[in-house]
Amino acid sequence: MIALTLLTLIQQGAPKLEGFPGLAAGRAPKVEIAWNRLYDTAELYAHFDRLVAQWPELFSMQVIGHSVESRDMRVYTLHNPKSGAEADKPAMWVDGNVHGNEVQGGEAVLYLAWYLLENYGSNPRATELVDGSLFYLLPSQNPDGRAHWFEQAHNAHSSRTGVQPVDDDKDGLFDEDPPDDLDGDGQIVMMRKYVPGQGDFRLNADDPRVMERVPANDKGIKGDWIYVGQEGLDNDGDGQVNEDEVGGYDMNRAWPSMWFTEFVQGGAGPYPLYWPETRSIARFILAHPNLAAVQSFHNNGGMILRGPGAEAYGEYPRADVAVYDELGKDGEKMLPFYKYMIIWRDLYSVFGGFVTWTYEGLGILSFTNELWNDDSQDPEKRIEPKERYFFDDKLLLGAGLVPWHPYTHPLYGEVEIGGFKKDVGRVPPSFLEEEMLHRNALFCIRHAEALPRIAIQEPVVTDLGGGVRAIDVIVANERAIPTRSAVAREKKIGTPDVLALEGKDLEVLAGGFRGDRFRPEEIELQEHEPARLLREAGLGSRAELRVRWIVRGTGSATIRYTAEKARDATRAFELR
Amino acid sequence: MPILPLHWAFCVVVAMQDASPPPAPPPALELLDHAHLSSALKALADAHKDVAQLVKLGSSRGGRSIDALRLAGAGAAQDKGRPAILLVANLDGARVYSSAVALQHARELAGRYASDDKVKALLDRTTLYIVPRANPDAAEARFGTPRFEQRASGPGVDDDRDGRAGEDPSTDVNADGVIAWLRVKDADGEWMDDPADARALIKAERAKGERGVYVLWPEGRDADKDEKVAEDAALDARVDRNFPDGWEQHAKDAGVFPTDEPETRALCDFVLAHPELALVVVYDAQDSLVGEVKSVGDDAPFVKRIPPEGVLESDAKLLGELGKRYKKVTESAVKAEGNDKGTFTRWCYAERGLLTLAATLWDIPLEEKKKDEKKEDAEGGPKGEEKPVEQAAESEKSPQADKQPEEQGAGDKKGDTKKDKDKKDDEPKPSDDAKRLKWIDAAGASEAWRFLPWTPFQHPELGAVEIGGLAPYARLEPPASESGLIAQKHLDWFLTLGELVPRIQIAECTREKLGEGVWRVKAVVENDAYLPLLSRSAQRTATTRPARVHLDLPSAGTRLGGNVQELLEDLPGSGGRKEYNWLVQGPDAMEIAVTVETPHAGTVTKQAQQKKATEKK
Ligand SMILES: [Zn+2]
Repeated sequence: MIALTLLTLIQQGAPKLEGFPGLAAGRAPKVEIAWNRLYDTAELYAHFDRLVAQWPELFSMQVIGHSVESRDMRVYTLHNPKSGAEADKPAMWVDGNVHGNEVQGGEAVLYLAWYLLENYGSNPRATELVDGSLFYLLPSQNPDGRAHWFEQAHNAHSSRTGVQPVDDDKDGLFDEDPPDDLDGDGQIVMMRKYVPGQGDFRLNADDPRVMERVPANDKGIKGDWIYVGQEGLDNDGDGQVNEDEVGGYDMNRAWPSMWFTEFVQGGAGPYPLYWPETRSIARFILAHPNLAAVQSFHNNGGMILRGPGAEAYGEYPRADVAVYDELGKDGEKMLPFYKYMIIWRDLYSVFGGFVTWTYEGLGILSFTNELWNDDSQDPEKRIEPKERYFFDDKLLLGAGLVPWHPYTHPLYGEVEIGGFKKDVGRVPPSFLEEEMLHRNALFCIRHAEALPRIAIQEPVVTDLGGGVRAIDVIVANERAIPTRSAVAREKKIGTPDVLALEGKDLEVLAGGFRGDRFRPEEIELQEHEPARLLREAGLGSRAELRVRWIVRGTGSATIRYTAEKARDATRAFELR
Repeated sequence: MPILPLHWAFCVVVAMQDASPPPAPPPALELLDHAHLSSALKALADAHKDVAQLVKLGSSRGGRSIDALRLAGAGAAQDKGRPAILLVANLDGARVYSSAVALQHARELAGRYASDDKVKALLDRTTLYIVPRANPDAAEARFGTPRFEQRASGPGVDDDRDGRAGEDPSTDVNADGVIAWLRVKDADGEWMDDPADARALIKAERAKGERGVYVLWPEGRDADKDEKVAEDAALDARVDRNFPDGWEQHAKDAGVFPTDEPETRALCDFVLAHPELALVVVYDAQDSLVGEVKSVGDDAPFVKRIPPEGVLESDAKLLGELGKRYKKVTESAVKAEGNDKGTFTRWCYAERGLLTLAATLWDIPLEEKKKDEKKEDAEGGPKGEEKPVEQAAESEKSPQADKQPEEQGAGDKKGDTKKDKDKKDDEPKPSDDAKRLKWIDAAGASEAWRFLPWTPFQHPELGAVEIGGLAPYARLEPPASESGLIAQKHLDWFLTLGELVPRIQIAECTREKLGEGVWRVKAVVENDAYLPLLSRSAQRTATTRPARVHLDLPSAGTRLGGNVQELLEDLPGSGGRKEYNWLVQGPDAMEIAVTVETPHAGTVTKQAQQKKATEKK
């Protein structure tokens, strides 16, 4: 109920501030986690559980549902219960990995939790965040897709889907013709075939591993090679190869705002929140109206994305865009090579996306970050295949590549199988991972530090004569994120804020919001219940609100501001 | 027995006033509460085990079971790809009558299977799923006290934006057992007496020099003392606003997200689980049979990547023809003008590609049916265009609807749409409510319950008010004399549906010897029913599996040309045909067949017959 100061720190006699983490000479972390590798679903959860074991008073886990293959959908809650109830604290949601192959989002969520916990009690700002706000952390929106990507043969782009069977090729059979790991190396790579004089590709003269498209020409010059698709067979004998993979849908097209069915938005599923993963998340988020910030991690390309996902939505309200811009532009500085972008305009149209639902549907400022990888050191310059081979040769000692090797295919005859492994191209190599995690976790912290915080200034009492007094007070939101976003006001999402004057011996005759600093009679009076002023517009970004009550009586009084997305603020005073 | 208080018992009384000679109209339908409807369905399934089974779709938010009666005649188990027809009623909680009609269909179909050729034909060709009550929670209000039209069954919102949800619902303030309307004399009022009938209210039009004298509210208290009456209901979300297509986010009756209402989701899941569905019928608040459906071109371009709303032209033509047949058999002229956004009807069509025949069964007629017109219908003479009597069924118009009173009403917001040229301009044109009152007056004492005379009442917050207006269910439940007849006519129509659903045939299957050991195999797939294999919408949504056409070749044979299987989507009805050819190598003695398999239009295999030499050119 009371705006939180650094309770813990001060009461415990200010322990020595230590430099960890972030500074090279800092102390060792309490929980060591290697940040130069990726973890499968079980390993990732295990790391979170180690954090729970180390900081049980600040960090807890709940299972909010189960995936198609019955893996836990886990939400970890990070806050200090001693500093106030969950529901009263402004909350930030962070998740990753809705696309099963976009795994490093999970590690980014883990890093954020670890970093705040390690710094709690020693770093004042980390401490204030854990005491004064709250984080709901979901390591993976798609634990099945993640597990499949790690445990089964895949490439960088596959296992994006969940694993509920879908009849992709409409033949009445489900998931019967996925790609096949023909050489049993755990990778799904490409197949190429030598067709002298009949192909559209040729081998690079300097590096025959590199396939180059033969430029269009009128001289009859042809290549000697063709691609014959991803590693796989015609498992169901229908004349097509790899046409019905496991799953085959997109859980980031499943959310209720601007949701459209499959023929408009591929992967959307039969109705919004059809899959258990998405529905459990939606139910959790809907049950937590204190959420005022959302961050979702994907890969790849180095982007800080906001909605709209579709042009047809129109523009977001100007006041919200201003806050988005402030955070997005800071993000561009914190995340070198990342660009702050609008999904439909700068990337592509997404109907029924997650962060567009949390904003358009629920009024929460929400970002998706497309995590950086070696492919986009500079997003203006896409890396050429040749350079990728150079990178693999020189910095990975060739570990990222399956060299072309022969295979006798039942349909295509003699072919060669080869190409880059699944952990090349969309996830960072080990030596670049920690930086990526740190910068993105700190972007979340930047976002969380913008969560609304309300302050009520000292009221000014004016005697109007005849036992009638005026109480003037200024209520302010000290932070960038409004208590009610502009979209929430416009669409009447959630509950209006309430500013109440309470006093046992007070008769509140009138009350309202003032429109002018100098002219107290310019006031928008509320006709009913003047002691309980309703504020649909909430408190905007760093906004001040001037209020006046006309009362009769004296004694103790309290002014209380109640908002769904900020801690309630109160101010007690005496009327003499 | 159904629980029906006496003054509401019009519906269990066989029409008695009509002294006209036999044949007497069929008895009025009983309206059953959930418990009685459930046992009626169970009894029906028990009594007709040969054709009927009870199927549970799910449970309502209030924990009531949502049940379907499955009806299928001989051979259903072996019949691969047997088409199914789904009938859903009472999605709108107040349309309890439609559930009685659906139950009547179920009873008649189960009971007459053995004795009635038409029923037998329908059940031997198709599987029927009849869901008499999709919204059991809201429907229960029909049987409770006080009586009111309950539509919402899901979470409430803070309608009046005062930071409290559901604090000011409608109530029976005068304790007469009915939640009606409440009007208050007020200089700020927008409503005035209809000059044509002072019992009806119309909106005053300042441009005509009119001045409003009443504020109109649903009957209720001003529990939160904000000078608004019954403006914040406890429940807001409605089952038939909660389907995904065209779902209106942020509309208070639309629900938190599509399919959040358990009833909505249960229906969606049922449809998804039954690829054999070939046709859907809805008896509720929507209409795709009487009024003209809004249509768009088959290839109308998407606008900003979004398809334009409406029934695709090719499908609209089918609906137009089916509507004509519907009107002829049922003599119904009840249109619905309600919002179709987020409805089951719209979802089934637009997102599942299922042609959906939606009928609003009854409303108070706005005009008397002309005698000669009726006669013409009875003679069956299709002379000239039918002129259906204009009737508007607007599901919104009740005190329990969440609209502000200005938008609903015991009054008429639209004024008169039809112009009677014979009338002088200065003669007041009656509002729709005035026309309804005229009908009620003419219908005699048995229908007088439909209007509650405005009666003075001392309201605890508002002082002197009057309570009255159209009674709940007045526009939803036909008089006893028509109740059974409407059901009977709709059943007659329903019996015609079995022949419509697509049916795959292999019209021809031949093999022609092109030379020693080489054959050309030809098959012609035909749909000999009325409806296309896939609606135009289904071809777009790709939700119904296309027909799988494949060649059955023994190991002695080799396919030299043609695909191992073909997927067939576009096959019109009324004899639509599609030809397939294969080139095959193998001995004379090998048997060759072609199979066409569908989930909803049958599965057939045919041996290729050798073409006679004379047929060769
Ligand atoms: Zn992604």
